[in-house]
Amino acid sequence: MGRFVMNARENLVQQALEGLEVSDGDLVRLNRDPDFVTRAEPARDEVAVVSGGGSGHEPLHTGFVGRGMLHAAVPGDVFASPTALQVRAAIEATDTGRGTVLIIKNYTGDVLNFSIAADLLSNTHTVETVLVDDDLATSSEEEGGPGRRGTAAVVVTEKVCGAAAAEAGASVDRVRDLGRKVVSRSATLGMSFRAPTNPLTGLRSFELEEGEVEFGVGIHGERGIETRRPSGEAADLVESLASPLVEALGLDRGAPVLAVVNGLGATHGLELSVAAFELRRFLEGKGLSLERTLVGPYVTSLDMKGFSITLTALDDELTELWDAPVHTPALR
Amino acid sequence: MTDTGDTARLSGPDARAWFLAFADRISRGADDLTDLDRRAGDGDFGWNIDTSLGRARSALQDIDAVHPAEVFGTVSDTFLASGGTSGPLFGLWFGRVAHGPEEPWTVADLAMAFDTATAAVQRLGGAQVGQKTMVDAMAPAVQALAGTARPGWREALGEAAEAASAGADSTGGMVARKGRASYLGERAADVVDPGALSIAWFFASAADV
Repeated sequence: MGRFVMNARENLVQQALEGLEVSDGDLVRLNRDPDFVTRAEPARDEVAVVSGGGSGHEPLHTGFVGRGMLHAAVPGDVFASPTALQVRAAIEATDTGRGTVLIIKNYTGDVLNFSIAADLLSNTHTVETVLVDDDLATSSEEEGGPGRRGTAAVVVTEKVCGAAAAEAGASVDRVRDLGRKVVSRSATLGMSFRAPTNPLTGLRSFELEEGEVEFGVGIHGERGIETRRPSGEAADLVESLASPLVEALGLDRGAPVLAVVNGLGATHGLELSVAAFELRRFLEGKGLSLERTLVGPYVTSLDMKGFSITLTALDDELTELWDAPVHTPALR
Repeated sequence: MTDTGDTARLSGPDARAWFLAFADRISRGADDLTDLDRRAGDGDFGWNIDTSLGRARSALQDIDAVHPAEVFGTVSDTFLASGGTSGPLFGLWFGRVAHGPEEPWTVADLAMAFDTATAAVQRLGGAQVGQKTMVDAMAPAVQALAGTARPGWREALGEAAEAASAGADSTGGMVARKGRASYLGERAADVVDPGALSIAWFFASAADV
């Protein structure tokens, strides 16, 4: 037998979705064929915030469906985009007449399928999009290239958009603009001690020698930008991730910051807390003010051992939306 | 056979018969499409399109097909349920065509529907004419429909089919800039794009209605 709790390959995602209804049926409903997850109690009169993407990143996105965050999440197969048919059905099911904001991580398949769904509804629905492309490791000057990947900043985007949508009378343009504002003020870097294992083959997507870490990894088991041999001190690991983020975001002394210290699947809470401790020390050393944090496994890559750090430059508006009530399976 | 007694307008049953003929053509040619894709891409194209059209074939039995929009919408859904890139883009194309009027279509309706649909594929797929994609057959067909003087849909679609076929042939001399075939560049330059060929077969299938 393999080392994953799973039955047949073709049932993996569907059975996991049914399991979410078992654990959180008071919060979410599973729609079958096409598959998507909505709130158990639909919103009556607010802009719908819909996201989705490949499975294998749980609790993203299905775990963020609920009051104050997503109205629907559309899961694809493991590391594969949902279909345009699923996305279209989720939009149709949750649009209250106030319009929809789609939050899309920047991957070719996701962008294509979400855009097609939006395009085909353009004569009957108002659909706006927020593209999340926070992964600093994939920055490139290349003209016409795929651009940066979308990773853990998507959680901040979903939280802020969901909170904005819950405000009385918020328009689809306001929710979209706030999502884009989060993206423009966020950056992420991740590192891995051990690659994720393919549930089918039992093989890791890359191998590392003792003492090596992969720097600049994404969330699909792809190699990062560099294999490094760090000192082994937590402070060094955290600084190697956080320092380029501070520079890229142009954070000045005194700037208020939100940090997501994200476990990538097999990193223990004890370790993530050490990373959070070191991150605060690092940011204080730079004169930055760590005002809000989210620490835990929120955007995972199957069983990858490693973590990522996301920094978002806050202002009063974003802080207020971050603090707004939320009640979802994974964040409450 | 058209049951409207109107040779100028494409009826719902005409559109259904067109797709059933197209599904037959793809079934006969699936191996050829797969072979082209194996030489220029990842080799699953023929199987994917055949599967989508197989689902479309049964879905089309379950609808009234009162107008072409309903038929195109039904076929679109079967492509939108597929993965990869070509399937969703076919779904977009047929789905945009389905935005046409909810009554039998004139040649002008056809021209308008395929024009907006092809524009959507170019916009979201990011491909222009000359990049060895399905757009190389779609765009000439749109031009033919826009410029035709023929008042009947059969004749107009016949002209579109000729234009699409010439467009598909032209991909046999192109270096891919988009899609899977772009990874092979010059090495796949002489291979006709299977997406463009499928579009040419689609327009040609109208003659079998």
